[in-house]
Amino acid sequence: MAQVNGALVAKALVLVAKKVEENKDYLCELDGEVGDGDHGVSMTIGMRAVSRAAKDLPANCTPADAFQSAADAYADEVGATIGPLYEAAFAAAAESVQGKSEINEIADWAKVYNSMAIAIQKLGKAELGDKTLLDAFFPAVDHITELSNKGGKLEDALASTAKSALDAAIATKELVPQKGRASRLGDRAIGHQDAGATSLAIVLKGFADAIAQG
Amino acid sequence: MRGELNLLKKLINDPFDMVEEMVEGYLAANDHIIKRVGKRSIARVNSPIPGKVGIVVGGGSGHLPAFAGYVGKGMADGAAFGNVFASPPAKPVIEATLAVNSGAGVMYTYGNYQGDCINFDKAQDQCREMGIAVQTVVLNDDVLSAPKSEAQKRRGIGGLFLVWHVAGAKAEQMASLDEVVAVTRKANDNTRTVGVGLTSCTVPANGKPTFSLPDDEMEIGLGIHGEPGIKRVKVRPIDSVIDEIMEAILADLDYKGSDVALLVNGLGGSPAEELYVVYRRVKQICDANKINIKFKHVGNQVTALEMQGTSVSLMRLDDEMYQLINETKVDTCMYKKV
Repeated sequence: MAQVNGALVAKALVLVAKKVEENKDYLCELDGEVGDGDHGVSMTIGMRAVSRAAKDLPANCTPADAFQSAADAYADEVGATIGPLYEAAFAAAAESVQGKSEINEIADWAKVYNSMAIAIQKLGKAELGDKTLLDAFFPAVDHITELSNKGGKLEDALASTAKSALDAAIATKELVPQKGRASRLGDRAIGHQDAGATSLAIVLKGFADAIAQG
Repeated sequence: MRGELNLLKKLINDPFDMVEEMVEGYLAANDHIIKRVGKRSIARVNSPIPGKVGIVVGGGSGHLPAFAGYVGKGMADGAAFGNVFASPPAKPVIEATLAVNSGAGVMYTYGNYQGDCINFDKAQDQCREMGIAVQTVVLNDDVLSAPKSEAQKRRGIGGLFLVWHVAGAKAEQMASLDEVVAVTRKANDNTRTVGVGLTSCTVPANGKPTFSLPDDEMEIGLGIHGEPGIKRVKVRPIDSVIDEIMEAILADLDYKGSDVALLVNGLGGSPAEELYVVYRRVKQICDANKINIKFKHVGNQVTALEMQGTSVSLMRLDDEMYQLINETKVDTCMYKKV
């Protein structure tokens, strides 16, 4: 069974950052089709700060410490829309695992993802179907919540949750944007995959891979 | 990428260091007007000015002179720098607020983009908790970015130059926070802008043009971050494009027979000569519609990196607004008016 302590969460954040940066150009390309083409850049700037902060954490940090360091990194470095959204999400993640030294259960991660998605919704005020990152996140939360009731291996649950986020991100092609710069395009944005939903799927894939590696 | 050879033909080093290095140079070049009050925040050297409402502006980098270029006498008191085309976080906005707050209150004013709204609102909440009176006026002059029935969704673009003229002048006269806010709202309500882009632009850390626009096309309604406009037209003599731009502006607000302030704005990559060709046509159309140009400016003000193109902004003036623009000297980092 996975032993997901604070050090492993910190390690996961470093891997998440690496994956996001590897996809910088792809994310900018997706954003450029309907927005201003900087999503990959904003995410990379934020994730570089996350990575630096995670590497500075002490080995005995808690999972909450690790998530909070990511929130603080986003708060100071990013701005844009995505900065406050990820800041709020990581802060909510930290809050949801407060007091725990390990988060080894599927239910723990269901709680982490659920609290992140809710924090993003609260701040960004988007609904399901508005063509935002929540259109990848909510289906993923539903998926992992269902798995937490069934039981199974955490690694498998995180992997299939990341897959469900990616599938949902791809499905945003059919949606009409209601938020952000792309919203001014209306129907013209149909056929374009949402950049924020895609990067969220990449973030979840990063967590899944890092926890699987241990 | 840090440490790798930079292949972008721009006057930069590592693209991810550009904003930091720009702010450093900007502060050094303007140290008689501004001081640094945080990593990404500036204020007038003599801030806070006793009894004066502080005006804090900001937004993504890539638009100079907007927004930090207008910090100085007669316009803004403080500014926060974001990354290229990305709103600053709340932190530098708070730093600028604390630096310019004399006790008379602080007004935030910026263009209507979701990122700016979220971050400035967050700063506003935190500053209010500290007991500072903060009010906000969000600008939305871009006619073609949303229909009139959804004007609250419209973006803020070149018109901010005119609106801030009025706002800054009012604050310079030691008006109260409520008065400064009221006149800024009035100025925004009377301002409309339409732009046309001829080329894309390249966000340095992105490394590639934000979008592709064929060599033989122009895009009407294009945003100042390269957001798509409403239509692409084949390259044609500019008079007919300006006719369309002015038609859209005049259809949205009744300017006929009014006094106006006018900006023919360059998006960064078009020569001044071309902007005067544009102004010539704008003037002809104003004359034909008995629009009385009481104040005008032609030049790069609200830019989109190296994008070629222009925007035309008209602000309908009443006596108060005209006097404010006409009588106030402006001496900011990047714009002067005697």
